[in-house]
Amino acid sequence: MDVHAAHNAVTAAAPAFSSRPEDIAWFILLLPLLAAAGITLIVRRSNFLAATFSIAATVTAFVLSFVLFLMFGVGDAAAVTSPFAWLHAGELAVNLGVTVDKLSTLMLLVVTGVSALVQVYSVGYMHGDRSFPRFFIGLSLFTFSMLGIVLADNFVMMFLFWELVGVSSWLLIGFWYEKESAADAAKKAFLTNRLGDFGFLLGIIIIWAAAGTVNFAELSQKLGAHPDLLGSLASVAGLLVFMGAMGKSAQFPLHVWLPDAMEGPTPVSALIHAATMVAAGVYMLCRVFFLYQVETAWPAALAFFGSISALDIIGGIGAFTALLAALMAIQQNDIKRILAYSTLSQLGYMVMAVGCGGPDAAMYHLTTHAGFKALLFLGAGSVIHACHHEQDIWKMGGLRKLMPKTFLTFALGTAALAGLPPLSGFYSKDAVLLAALDNGHPVLFGLGVLIAAMTTFYMLRLVLVAFLGSGRSEAAGHAHESPGAMTWPLVILAVPSVMLAWVPLGDYLTHHFFTDHGHVHGHGSEVISFGATISAAFGLVNHILFEPFNHAPLPAFLGTGALIIGAWIAVTLYWNAERDPLPKLLGSFARGMRNRFYFDEIYEAIFIPLHDLVARLADWFDRWVVGGLAVRGAHGSTELLGRALRIVQSGNLQTYTFFFVAGVALVVLIALK
Amino acid sequence: MTNGDYYQLLKLLAPEWTVVGTVLAILFADLQFWRNRSVAWRSAGAASILSLGFAAAAGLLIWKRAVTADLLGGTLVLSPTSQYVKLALLGLAIVTAWLCTEGEFTKHVGEFVALIALATAGMMFLVSTENLLMVFVALELVSLSLYVMTAFNKRSPRSAEAALKYFLFGGMAAAFTLFGFSFLYGLTGSIHLPTIAAKISWHAGDPLTLVAIVLVVAGFGFKIAAVPFHLWAPDAYEGAPAPAAAFIASGSKVASFFVLGKLLSVGLPGVGGSGAWKAFSPGWLAVVAILATASMIFGNLAALAQSSLRRLLAYSAIAHAGYALLAIIGGSQPALLYYAITYAVTSVGIFGVVAVVENRTGNEDIAGLAGLRERSFLLSVALSVFVLSLAGVPPLAGFFGKFYAFAAAAKLGSSLGYWWLVALALGASCVSLFYYLQVLKQVWVAPVPEGQGKVAGGWVVSILLALLALAVLVTGAAPELLIRFLK
Repeated sequence: MDVHAAHNAVTAAAPAFSSRPEDIAWFILLLPLLAAAGITLIVRRSNFLAATFSIAATVTAFVLSFVLFLMFGVGDAAAVTSPFAWLHAGELAVNLGVTVDKLSTLMLLVVTGVSALVQVYSVGYMHGDRSFPRFFIGLSLFTFSMLGIVLADNFVMMFLFWELVGVSSWLLIGFWYEKESAADAAKKAFLTNRLGDFGFLLGIIIIWAAAGTVNFAELSQKLGAHPDLLGSLASVAGLLVFMGAMGKSAQFPLHVWLPDAMEGPTPVSALIHAATMVAAGVYMLCRVFFLYQVETAWPAALAFFGSISALDIIGGIGAFTALLAALMAIQQNDIKRILAYSTLSQLGYMVMAVGCGGPDAAMYHLTTHAGFKALLFLGAGSVIHACHHEQDIWKMGGLRKLMPKTFLTFALGTAALAGLPPLSGFYSKDAVLLAALDNGHPVLFGLGVLIAAMTTFYMLRLVLVAFLGSGRSEAAGHAHESPGAMTWPLVILAVPSVMLAWVPLGDYLTHHFFTDHGHVHGHGSEVISFGATISAAFGLVNHILFEPFNHAPLPAFLGTGALIIGAWIAVTLYWNAERDPLPKLLGSFARGMRNRFYFDEIYEAIFIPLHDLVARLADWFDRWVVGGLAVRGAHGSTELLGRALRIVQSGNLQTYTFFFVAGVALVVLIALK
Repeated sequence: MTNGDYYQLLKLLAPEWTVVGTVLAILFADLQFWRNRSVAWRSAGAASILSLGFAAAAGLLIWKRAVTADLLGGTLVLSPTSQYVKLALLGLAIVTAWLCTEGEFTKHVGEFVALIALATAGMMFLVSTENLLMVFVALELVSLSLYVMTAFNKRSPRSAEAALKYFLFGGMAAAFTLFGFSFLYGLTGSIHLPTIAAKISWHAGDPLTLVAIVLVVAGFGFKIAAVPFHLWAPDAYEGAPAPAAAFIASGSKVASFFVLGKLLSVGLPGVGGSGAWKAFSPGWLAVVAILATASMIFGNLAALAQSSLRRLLAYSAIAHAGYALLAIIGGSQPALLYYAITYAVTSVGIFGVVAVVENRTGNEDIAGLAGLRERSFLLSVALSVFVLSLAGVPPLAGFFGKFYAFAAAAKLGSSLGYWWLVALALGASCVSLFYYLQVLKQVWVAPVPEGQGKVAGGWVVSILLALLALAVLVTGAAPELLIRFLK
């Protein structure tokens, strides 16, 4: 009754904002594109105007997203879409449309919010770069592409923006293209992503062929009415679509591009790793989660999978990626690479949550992670900026006193990532673990707890070595606090890192994903609206802070326990350490971790000879068959024909007339036969 | 026939009146007021009057866009589609008129622009009739205007030669068409297309029917430059003043394709025969399939060997006539019109670039485009868009034009009977990429020749070219924007 009344109230109140909320969504989507176009065409030469255009567009988009969020998040307005026909090719009808619902409005906030802060930060970080405006063009384009993924209401449109994210990431990672490693990293990111996209496209084609639509809402409806619509290809289609997420969200075995992408400027790393590119994969899985709720079915050739569902495989890959990346992170010495592997590991966590049937938990973790990972990256950028582009943590040390603001915010981010209650990371991690436990995945749950301990360990190692102790190089000794444009975003980002989970975000997402199906789980059995929360804030603080411990004590206590153990080992090993004691303790295993378990080398050993072989074959084919037979042959015969034709095209009118009449006669002859 | 009907007729023909009025206004202004002005001034003035008059006509068309009418036994047949095609013709004519401001090929530029308007009037009548006699008269109005336009550069012997060939060839084609029409009349006793359609199927297997079809198609084959009726095209494209060539390649093509498609699908539906693989039977489908095959093969192969940009465009036009015939075979009017209109927009754009470059450099070869990237960025980008669209590179309009045309032909019949034609078209498109890229290679890769300065057109032409390039891009990226008007 209450919900119903609230719904009506919002529907009635909606015109106060705009008669068509989807128009706002279109505007949000186009703003960054306008900024990119404006900078390119008008103010390419002015650093100040370029930054102003770009930041103004993103901040406006953020404010508008907030308006939408109030309408669709706080209120209970029904999801709207606004499609217009884009192209019809045979039976494929593709619309360009935006979907505005609880999921997309939340993601809009995350993307525009982080993007705006990263852009402000970039004003300080990129100060003096000779291609400053180009950087902001790239950032705006990137934001536009990502917003397109968030708002897309069908697979084809999502795929288009998916590729746009690929292109703009290529532009940004390779921003310092004159540096060979950056250019290579950009190429690697792009190509690895293309590999995943190939599967994604195949999946889209299968879905379209089987269901006859690429629209999310229609597809969901059709699958709801006929769960066997996709036939024996249901699980294969799901996995192929997941391949797209594997590329963008850097899941094993396509994870190799992400650490290399650190070659881009640090704000780009923050943007890519926190709220945009890598989040796209997880977001997409959540958006099309209905695809994975159908009966498991395998074609005859893959029947050996039996009752293992696509979700089980996704969960397994996520957990494996999380474990692998956490192990690698333990032995990295480059501050950005540690964070990169940490992102990889946390993404594995989110994918695992999706695999366990908890898209709400995955989105929850994605949202909180966006906040504190952006904070950590920007903090790392501040450190690197201060230490004259030194990135080795063993050459830092003692930065706590020299950079107090950076240290404090970085420490908060670390605590949030490690999952210290009552910081935001604790709650979302708890939701992920609970999703694993509740849906009958005890092994994944155990792995999750283990990874939580490892996360605390490597993050604390980073903080202890880089910020505490004494300066281990001259650069670290002369470090100084970064300018305000860089520290203020840190301070702002620290707020959600600490407090985001104090609003009932988990319930909000659970509500979005499961209410329609009458299946509510997680620690949000009663749906609490934001309004009620605020009015009873004080009463709820108690409720929220200790709720996980009361509701599901096992994951909460085990998660906290893992945190304590990880922290204890890190402090024992690295308190005032001058060099890393782990290689001695673990021997060759540590070397494996440091060298990323030789994945790049293995890929190189397998794929490069293979690639060379294909290239040589193609070269042979091109040289002899295409070049020799086809081109030279065509050239020769064309030459001959050309000479013959030159006789025809004599410029002599009588000849022309003759050919005209002869042509008519010939056509009659052929047609009559 | 009552007076009310005539009043109705006059009202419905308001856009055409406006166009004819524009012709008179241009001639009057040029004769009366501008005799002592410079040619540049006069060409800009005439183009302005034409633009204003045509804008008014376009406004009338848009106002009455939902009209449907059938007057005087099919003499005047209006439908929303014909209104939109006329709009496209008006737009193409406006661009062509402004091209006259590039280069002084004649002192009597007012008359030239008036001829553009007169040809446009002919085209507008051509697309709004289902009466064979009216088709022929309108066709002659268009053709005669175009012959004169081709000959307009009186200082150039090549222009005169081209015009003479075009004229004599066209005269012969017209004779064939008329001969074909008379056979149709003889067979059915009518010059009204729907009536012919109802009666011609009695004579389906008759060789005389086929002869009539071939003769009619030969006449239109001349207009669209399909092999073997294409021989005039390279000479005319090369010798004619650039605006004349542009209009031959654009407006004239759109109107001719529209009428040929209508003639065959409305007038002769029962005698299509078949051009399907291993199921060949006499009829216009077979005839058109033969023309398409010959055009695609011949046009593309001959284009490979050209060094003159205009001759290259002529052979490319022949090849494109072949592709568009696939849409006629597929019986899909939207596909045909999308193809013809986007192709016309692209062609008029290319001739615009050609006009500017030739005017400033005097070089008519592909090599004359060398290093254009540094001499005019706008022209380079616009030319690249046009050329890539002709080559059928997505997401430009040329790609979707080909896609719709080929898909229409592929879908015809039950078992992909026309696959051989589609396969040939795809192969021919691949070949065509070679010579199109030769053009772009000059623009973007070849070094800037010594002593060649910047190239720039007038500002109106520059804006129009930019708009045309944008139109090619937008109608390609979102084909629904255009194609929904053509259904």
